[in-house]
Amino acid sequence: MSPPISSRCARAAAVVGAAAALAACDGPQAALDPAGPDAEAISTIAWVMFGGAAIVFIVVLVAVAWALRARRAREGRGLIIAGGVVFPLVVLTALLVFGLTVSSRINAEPDDALTIRVTGKQWWWQVDYLDAGEPVLTTANDIVVPVGAPVRFVLTTDDVIHSFWVPSLGGKLDMIPGRINETVLQADVAGAYRGQCAEFCGDQHALMAFTVAATDDFAAWLAAQQRPAAEPVTDLEARGAALFLENGCGACHTIRGTDADGTIGPDLTHVGGRPTIAAGTLPNNQGTLAGWIADAQAIKPGARMPSFDRLAGPELRALAAYLASLE
Amino acid sequence: MSDTTAPDLPNPLPRPPGELEELERVWRRPRGIRRLTEVNNSQIGLYYIGTAVMFFLFAGVLALLMRAQLALPENALVDHDLYNQLFTMHGTVMMFLFAVPAVEAMGVLLLPSMVAARDLPFPRLSAYAFWAYFIGGTIFLVSLFLDVAPRAGWFMYPPLSSAEYTPDVSSDFWLLGIGFIEISAIAGAIEIIVGVLRTRAPGMSLDKMPVFAWVMLVFAGMIVFAFPAMIAGTALLELERAFDWPFFIAERGGDPLLWQHLFWFFGHPEVYIIFLPAAGFLSMIVPTLARRPLIGYRAIVLAVIGTGFLSFGLWVHHMFTTGLPAISMSFFSAASMAVAIPSGIQIFAWIATIAAGRMQLTTPALFVLGFLFIFTIGGLSGVMVAMVPFDWQAHDTYFIVAHLHYVLIGGMVFPLFAAIYYWVPMISRRRLSERIGKVVAVLLFLGVNLAFFPMHVSGLMGMPRRVYTYPDGLGWEVTNLLSTIGAFVIAAGVALFLFDLARNLRLSTTRNAGNVWDAGTLEWLPTGTYQTRSIPIVTSRDPLWDQPNLAADVEAGRYYLPGTATGRRETIVTSSVDARPQYVLTLPGPGWTPFFSAAFTAAAFMLLTVKAVIPAILCGAIAIGGIIAWMWRADIGPRAPVDIGGGLRLPVNITGRNAHATAGTVVLILCAGTLFGCLLFAYFFLWTVNADWPPAGAGAPSPSWAAIAAVLLLAASLAWRAGRGVLTSHDQPRPRLMFRLLVLGAAAAATAAVVADGVSLWQAGLRPADSAYGAILYAITAYQAFLTGALIIMAGIVFARSLAGRIGGPWRLSFEVTALFGHYVVVQGLVALAVTRLFPGVAS
Amino acid sequence: MTVARRLVSTGVAASLLLAAGCDRDAAPQTRIVADGDPGHGRQLIAEVACGVCHIIPGVRGAAGTVGPSLAGFAERNLIAGVLPNTPSELARWVRDAPSLVPETAMPPMPLSEDEAVNVAAYLLTLR
Repeated sequence: MSPPISSRCARAAAVVGAAAALAACDGPQAALDPAGPDAEAISTIAWVMFGGAAIVFIVVLVAVAWALRARRAREGRGLIIAGGVVFPLVVLTALLVFGLTVSSRINAEPDDALTIRVTGKQWWWQVDYLDAGEPVLTTANDIVVPVGAPVRFVLTTDDVIHSFWVPSLGGKLDMIPGRINETVLQADVAGAYRGQCAEFCGDQHALMAFTVAATDDFAAWLAAQQRPAAEPVTDLEARGAALFLENGCGACHTIRGTDADGTIGPDLTHVGGRPTIAAGTLPNNQGTLAGWIADAQAIKPGARMPSFDRLAGPELRALAAYLASLE
Repeated sequence: MSDTTAPDLPNPLPRPPGELEELERVWRRPRGIRRLTEVNNSQIGLYYIGTAVMFFLFAGVLALLMRAQLALPENALVDHDLYNQLFTMHGTVMMFLFAVPAVEAMGVLLLPSMVAARDLPFPRLSAYAFWAYFIGGTIFLVSLFLDVAPRAGWFMYPPLSSAEYTPDVSSDFWLLGIGFIEISAIAGAIEIIVGVLRTRAPGMSLDKMPVFAWVMLVFAGMIVFAFPAMIAGTALLELERAFDWPFFIAERGGDPLLWQHLFWFFGHPEVYIIFLPAAGFLSMIVPTLARRPLIGYRAIVLAVIGTGFLSFGLWVHHMFTTGLPAISMSFFSAASMAVAIPSGIQIFAWIATIAAGRMQLTTPALFVLGFLFIFTIGGLSGVMVAMVPFDWQAHDTYFIVAHLHYVLIGGMVFPLFAAIYYWVPMISRRRLSERIGKVVAVLLFLGVNLAFFPMHVSGLMGMPRRVYTYPDGLGWEVTNLLSTIGAFVIAAGVALFLFDLARNLRLSTTRNAGNVWDAGTLEWLPTGTYQTRSIPIVTSRDPLWDQPNLAADVEAGRYYLPGTATGRRETIVTSSVDARPQYVLTLPGPGWTPFFSAAFTAAAFMLLTVKAVIPAILCGAIAIGGIIAWMWRADIGPRAPVDIGGGLRLPVNITGRNAHATAGTVVLILCAGTLFGCLLFAYFFLWTVNADWPPAGAGAPSPSWAAIAAVLLLAASLAWRAGRGVLTSHDQPRPRLMFRLLVLGAAAAATAAVVADGVSLWQAGLRPADSAYGAILYAITAYQAFLTGALIIMAGIVFARSLAGRIGGPWRLSFEVTALFGHYVVVQGLVALAVTRLFPGVAS
Repeated sequence: MTVARRLVSTGVAASLLLAAGCDRDAAPQTRIVADGDPGHGRQLIAEVACGVCHIIPGVRGAAGTVGPSLAGFAERNLIAGVLPNTPSELARWVRDAPSLVPETAMPPMPLSEDEAVNVAAYLLTLR
């Protein structure tokens, strides 16, 4: 005997609801799956507020249910004062005090921290590792940070307003023309965290993502990244290197150690070692590199990267092989 | 139940023959194409709400397209460009073309009958506001089909919306179109404020006024202070786009955050502008359904007023992620939470009222319950996002999309549906179907929760707003699919509602379904095109409950003004606090000027967007011509006092402080002053973001020009005073000439002052495109010039009226409002000079 | 209007997804390839983003036009107009195309031999 439809629906709804609630706890870009102190603190605030909200909501529903059944209740004035003034006043004051206490942890300023300047651009992120205010490494989209150490992010923009956000590490902060905003984030667990632009910034706002990878071996990574690009090894890679310059790619992109020194697009010196291309849009392999070069405008219409659709097959492959070799 | 046999009603029975027929004749509605000429608020209110619902459907379809696109990850239903237009238009149309006009429409539709006025005091203004909204809004919609729809978001943040990043006309459509529709909202607000304060039935003192009239008063007051910020913002951004005045361009001293401050100074009150009238619906509906007078009337009124004030102190909570100082964020966080208290008071007052009575679960009641459920969730998530650190995560994610839809659908759409099901019997021969209505309520309730609750989760999972696509594998798939299904459930509910309307809505003012809910307020009196046969004396908050014979006596013509006293449309103007009859105001009948003026104003704005400057100027000139024609016939002058019954003889069309037009002008001046205040805010804001103010190299305007301008302004003020003196003295030929000279002189002096001001800027070498400093100085002067231009037209009308003998002695209302406005222009000019010329000097 | 048509296809896709109980691994089984797991193959295709260059039915977002559409691929006689379209050739091809046809634009893809078999298995379900 099957249960009545309504109860089946109710059960299905409950399952979906529970699944959705649980699902909210983890994910590469989930705010309630914290991997650092800021996100942790906010997650605590969030859960306390969810619990409180659930209680308040039930109180209101019970009051409504009571009101529907009651006849000629005379509690009017008392109910308004108790429910409309005293109750919210107490709850909100408690919440405010709790919130200010917890958030004071968030605004803590470290004395000494790695400083990374991230510049929002339509629709990618330029990443400069700073030392005493001067860039010592320029890369793009895929940020690497040390595990367990605070990192100061200096946020600015080259064009419109963007917003820098890595939910697993902490809250977002806008990048506003003419202003410099700073935030400090810390990843306590090694791993890759996805971030995404949170302020609508035009055509490809949806495809403006990035990753933050927290590694135990940051110093080695930084040293490797600061080295100039690897020399091509195979014939195919050598051909790709030549094609890169012949096709004018260097007008927009820099590959340190070569003549390519453009600054309009991402620095490609170590592009082969990054997990993604096109600002978190595609996984990074020779196939996607070739596809992106050949048809960027189909993948990310409006981006400044043109579609190089006049390259012969082997040429395209050579370029992809060369870029993939730049680890 | 008191006073069942009011012994001496003002007018005896039987009524003289022909009285009712005469009343019907003057209020007869034009038919056929001449329907466009109708100015009566009840009729305009119907057009208005119908149009608002049309825009609601349109924006809803856009939402369905978006939800279809987001049903699956990496979906290719609509491309980025269309999607960006869709969400920009959805937000814009819902906020500006549906929500605000819909509640304003309900005000215009319900207020005259609720306060038992024959009509509100400026029917042509309402007609103008409606047609401007209808025509402007429709053109705005069409932009979507021509692929020139705005695509920078409903918030239009520069620099994305500015000339550099949106070079096409799409942003201009938004700025001019919406700026223009805001003007229409302000026109409606002026009508509502003066209407609520001055045309209530005798005896309806402020403490007996229906809560809905209170909320509409607060609503209109909030529009007066909030919308000018929006107009100022759109004007500055349009000036930047069209003429490269760099208000928001950081390299030249501007600041994109200036826009955000102006936009949200408007945008946050906007939420309450939408919510308060909807709460007003509930305060009318709940007592009727519970069959008990509203509990906590005073508490609710105070809560509404409190919300109105508080809402202006919250705007920064939309900017918590812009990197503001922590201390200011804490303040706005606390203020944002505090606004939960007045909402809580209202909710518990309704619950107490329900508890005191016995609420039948009719369709409106289901919507009320749906409101309580949905709005409470929206309010709770609102408290969450008021918590600054939480907002850093939630801001600009689907959590906010969920929150705002819970607030706006719960707080506005559900009450509006309740209101439609509740008040349709007042305007239709048949009521809507209870059976269908209940299904509609259930579908909407399920759909809304299914569509929007999962969005909280999507947001917390990291899904930002305004993305046209999202990748597979971030855990957003299930919640998005649920949201899409929910959206289509909502659509099914709305479709069923339309079916109900088509089947049962049969518009009629004369033979409506009547007081089907057995309600206690005056809109349920028997009505005709003239509203009520006679205007009742109000002695309580629920007159129909407390005076059982009221409806019959009103209909029999036993109360005030049972016919037409002057042979024209008219209503009784009462004092604003205790509603004592003061005078009879004659009202205009149908005419083409509001329609044509609105059509050409709309045309002028829309032509400007496509840079057709000459045709735009022509249309603007025609529009102004229309308004002049309308003004020419506006002030018909005092008439002999008339008897409205009960031995009460009232003057007709008075002049001076108590006149309705004076009140309207004062409200207009408040609007103009707020706009000016926003420009001054911009001036000081830009000063704070610029280290050098004035910037190095910018010339200093010579103080002597400023002194000349100040003297000219003072002279203008004196001339207005002298003109009034001459006009009120004996009407002799010589003084009449003197009067004309003074009027012209005053206008000329004000004009010369603003010219002197402009010249001084130019001579100092300042150019508006050079820096934000130059731009804001020229903008302030340009605004002064704009008001001076309006003043010149008004003075011209006064001058022409004097020539035509349509002004003199007690017949001088048009002069008085012109002089009042003239004085304001002087004050504004002096303040502008003081701020822009003295302050940098004083500070440095 | 194309939007209308796409609306319908979105609706169909959404209801299929529902019917499948949101099981994204369920693939239409039309031609069984020995040793191949087409469901896993489809997942791999999404992971390495073959769709950047190819239209691939059943893989979301696979709308690339750099290379040929793979719709109806199982019906095709030749791979790249050169090789016979057999499961084993196809598995070699998707893993390292240039070694088979030097003039191709298709780079070697980061797939193991087993994975390549699965990818081929999926492609051969496309009729």
